[in-house]
Amino acid sequence: MSSTLRINKNNFVDQTIRISFKFNGQKLFGFKGDTLASALLSNDIHLVGRSFKYHRPRGIMTCGSEEPNAIVQVGNDPSLTEPNVRATEIELYEGLEAFSQNCWPSVKFDIGGINNLLSPLLPAGFYYKTFMWPSSFWEKYEYFIRHSAGLGKAPTEPDKDLYDHQFAHCDVLVVGGGISGILAAKLSAEKGLNTILIDDKNFLGGSTIYQDNNCFKINDLNSNNWLSKEIESLKNYPNLILKKRTTLAAFHGYNYLLARENLTDHLTISEKKNKIRQRLWKIRAKKVILASGSIERPLIFNNNDRPGIILSSSIKKYIDYYGVKTGKNVSLFTNNDSAYETAASLVKSGVDVNTIIDIRENSESSVVKEVQRMGIKILWGHTIVDTFGYKRIKSFDVMKLSNDGGGVVGSKIKFNSNCLGVSGGWTPMVHLFTQSGGKLKFKTDDNIFIPDENKSPSEQISVGSCNGDFELDDIINNTVKYVKKFINLDKSNYDKVNIVCSKEISKKNIWLLPCDKPFSTTKPFLDFQNDSTAKDVKLALREGFKSIEHVKRYTTTGMGTDQGKLSNMHALGIIADTTGTNMGELGTTTFRPPYTPLTFGTIVGRNVGKFFDHTRRTAIHNWHVNNKAEFENVGQWKRPWYYPKNGETMYEAVQRESKAARESAGILDASTLGKIDIQGTDASEFLNRIYTNAWSKLAIGKCRYGLMLNEDGMVYDDGVTTRLGENHYLMTTTTGGAANVLSKLEDYLQTEWPDLDVYLTTVTDHYSTISVCGPNSKKIIQKIIPDLDLSDQNFPHMSYKNSIIKNVNCKIMRISFTGEQSYEINIQSNYAKDIWELCIEAGKEFNITPYGTETMHLLRAEKGFIITGQDTDGTLTPSDLQMDWIISKKKYDFIGKRSLYRSDTIREDRKQLVGLITEDPKVILEEGAQLVDDINKKPIEMLGHVTSSYFSPNLNKSIALAIVKSGKKMKGRKLIVPMESKNINVTVTDSVFYDKDNKRLNA
Amino acid sequence: MLNLDLPINEDKNYNEIKIIQIEPTIKINLRSKKREFSTKIGKTLSILPPTEANTSSGNGNFSLLWLGPDEWLLYSNNKNLTLEDQIKLEKNLFGDVSKLNQGAVTNVSDHWVLLNLKGNKIYDLLTKSCPFNFSDFMKKKGSVTQTIINHIDVILHNKNDNDLNLFVRRSFAEDLWLWINDSASFL
Repeated sequence: MSSTLRINKNNFVDQTIRISFKFNGQKLFGFKGDTLASALLSNDIHLVGRSFKYHRPRGIMTCGSEEPNAIVQVGNDPSLTEPNVRATEIELYEGLEAFSQNCWPSVKFDIGGINNLLSPLLPAGFYYKTFMWPSSFWEKYEYFIRHSAGLGKAPTEPDKDLYDHQFAHCDVLVVGGGISGILAAKLSAEKGLNTILIDDKNFLGGSTIYQDNNCFKINDLNSNNWLSKEIESLKNYPNLILKKRTTLAAFHGYNYLLARENLTDHLTISEKKNKIRQRLWKIRAKKVILASGSIERPLIFNNNDRPGIILSSSIKKYIDYYGVKTGKNVSLFTNNDSAYETAASLVKSGVDVNTIIDIRENSESSVVKEVQRMGIKILWGHTIVDTFGYKRIKSFDVMKLSNDGGGVVGSKIKFNSNCLGVSGGWTPMVHLFTQSGGKLKFKTDDNIFIPDENKSPSEQISVGSCNGDFELDDIINNTVKYVKKFINLDKSNYDKVNIVCSKEISKKNIWLLPCDKPFSTTKPFLDFQNDSTAKDVKLALREGFKSIEHVKRYTTTGMGTDQGKLSNMHALGIIADTTGTNMGELGTTTFRPPYTPLTFGTIVGRNVGKFFDHTRRTAIHNWHVNNKAEFENVGQWKRPWYYPKNGETMYEAVQRESKAARESAGILDASTLGKIDIQGTDASEFLNRIYTNAWSKLAIGKCRYGLMLNEDGMVYDDGVTTRLGENHYLMTTTTGGAANVLSKLEDYLQTEWPDLDVYLTTVTDHYSTISVCGPNSKKIIQKIIPDLDLSDQNFPHMSYKNSIIKNVNCKIMRISFTGEQSYEINIQSNYAKDIWELCIEAGKEFNITPYGTETMHLLRAEKGFIITGQDTDGTLTPSDLQMDWIISKKKYDFIGKRSLYRSDTIREDRKQLVGLITEDPKVILEEGAQLVDDINKKPIEMLGHVTSSYFSPNLNKSIALAIVKSGKKMKGRKLIVPMESKNINVTVTDSVFYDKDNKRLNA
Repeated sequence: MLNLDLPINEDKNYNEIKIIQIEPTIKINLRSKKREFSTKIGKTLSILPPTEANTSSGNGNFSLLWLGPDEWLLYSNNKNLTLEDQIKLEKNLFGDVSKLNQGAVTNVSDHWVLLNLKGNKIYDLLTKSCPFNFSDFMKKKGSVTQTIINHIDVILHNKNDNDLNLFVRRSFAEDLWLWINDSASFL
């Protein structure tokens, strides 16, 4: 560490704790409290990276989140390495390793630097132009462009770090812990409001906390001392939560905000272990006070990007806060008074200030006079026309500005400096305000966009410099005034604060400073990260791009990881000047969240791995696991898909399971079906209105299949409903549709039919459903429930009985989705596993075979039973499904009825459900495959597609269901299924393939 | 008698949080818009269904949670009640309410799994994934809310200071249990 660059005067960095770190493999030292940037500067390292396009050497330019250049790769663990981290925001910790990005083989010697020489060939939009001419060359360019794209290296292994989320609610959220944020938080807490104050730094106080200058006093104390006492007093408010190291990422509507808290990034590698790294706070605030501050602008002049050129306010922070000199011989270039505060700080710290170049003619403010008293040379009305030094600025040339500021006159003056501070004024941080929906207005005097109080979303205000107040007295007085009004506070301790501060009177702004060289030969950078220059913006304008959004995308200005925090205003200014437009009319680009980049880990939180999605388990799940079931995701349910035995493939297992179900007995866990208990004197009428068929005459103890339509007449859901009592039904829905069906029915009851006496209660999880099917199913059920008369006379198909199995009530339905004689046992879930095992035990002599969803699908397809969502897609009416029989002609109304008689829904050439048989019975069609009539017709006409397809072991042939245009008239027609390697010939058939007379249901 | 098989079979203790499953518990969903309904429930259970939103009523045996203007969840506080008690209670209520067309009585004992969370950090745990504002809820004994935890529907009943009952659908119970245990380990 170069001892001459570290001064020993402040309380913010603990110089008793030395920290070692590595940068580009070199072991270096800093102190606790340093950022990586301040530690590098203390080691006299300015060159930290290369620019994206031209690979120009770039150095640390700022001290905050707006940093465009010093973005580094942190760590080299393949799962934890992180690209594009701002060196200005990383707190130094023992063992930190960081690397320069976008350079090879090293940041000091980068082969890509050749791009700088080729820069005349790489103007704005060159990337788009490579598409256009000569078009055949694109594949040549592509290789190089793809290889040079992107910044940094993504981790190659899953992130081992832990992240989580936390919700918070408060009366007032204050964003920003500078002087205005602290005042706002204290006023809010004093009023007794639950208040949260967040700031992205590990300290509060913003730039005032290190403003130790006699020109700035509050109640006779230097402003930094006064503010320290105010911060100390915040501890006295139990209703005030302080969140440091917390960055507001997004400000959504209705005061919903997202903030990222860094919990361990500042800790050593061993301290981080097993701790949450970052937390995403989801905050609902009744009121929001934005005190997000402002950032200093650079100045746009030729070669303004060399390492060692730093924002003036950042130089001040490095010396006053971190105790680090950014150079031994510093010059400043400014258009405002802020640079003079920096000059005063530097002189007090023993740093030589070579000269100050000010584009203004003069300034009479107290801070300028103080600097003049210090004897620093000031060149009024001058501008820098060029800078020199490849990896670090060494010197610069200055010329006098012409009277109109549009050119330079006189001779050049050369100054030697190894650090140049630049200050182009201040830009309020209005990103969060606009994210929330607020509109901006342009303040011409200061050339800034500030929140328009008349176009601000309710329950939020902006205070301090993000609201356009830059002088200390304006910041304090206006913050107190606005906050008092906002939270209805009559009086405060800040009503009569005595403030002394330097007032800036002289103002001058030139967006693009003139140069003595031809403009085409200069490089005045606007966007330092993306290498976008003022020339690029002007080129875009010449090529016809006028909207700022178009210019942004064409030139990539503001599209880097810094999102143009430093460049946007200058781009707007240059466009306005070039086109003769008012900046206020031009507007700004859209500020989108996040304000600073978020890690994916923070966004996802703990919803990774086993928490990525929910898993619903049936009460019998563990039995399926123990019996080696393969599972299928159905909605969020885990359903047994098939039960492979002895290394069977799915095909083999399904063939075995389906044959067993047809020939003897199968058992299925059908617990996932939605179940809704319906009670009330109008229950039958309710069913009449929601199903297409009639329900009033369904006898108690009987079951009926129903189709539910949407208002547009399209099939929405289906299932069997059982009449348990006079006014009592149990409805089943599809597994995936259960929640939506219940919501829809409740919605209808509450909004359309509030007069109906009907109550719905979901019992999906209360009842588990075990379906036993096959020719021997009756015998198995009889073994379990010997007292129940299972004869076809007493217990026919589509009927139900209450029963008791070992003291537990259960409902037995004789219904079938397989075409076989089937019984469904509905029992309280806590006893379901035992019943299942009873069935398995009782069925052993009949080779009872558990089967999964795949076999269920095959069995029902053999019978031509539809699966809503597989054979339907929201565009099919019951008639399209050849289920006209289920539409009651007598009922006055039901949901979707009117739509069934629209001209479109009665068209005969609609797509309709049919069966398909392949010419070669062993060929199984692919679900989703298209159906065509004439393969040679151009363009080929698609008639429909396959919705379900299986090889049926019971029929010993391939079967399929499909929806086909005019399908009802197609029976017997030969069609073609064109596949990648061959065309498959099929014949359209009836959709019922097996047991058309339903003899097996009663066998 | 069939064997009872519950989704969760352990209790857990973390730093200032204790989580236990309270099962089997009788749970019955009640729905009615009829005026006489309250009287009938009062006669059977000796408690009246609360009419104020998100509140509850109860006695030593039962708690009645407000779920909506015409919907309540009844659950037993007495862990010694048996399956026979459950069947009897359902039958009585069904006879008094459903059969007389005074509303709907539905047994949901196995639809919900009841977990009890106790300790100073239970709200820190819940707010990791629950968007509900607990500031009023935690101060008012007997408060009820229907919300989501880690995107899973739950009913919460404030039993006492830092002591709440949580109802989660049986099929989600194991998933939520895993999440609770994972998150509690980071408190």
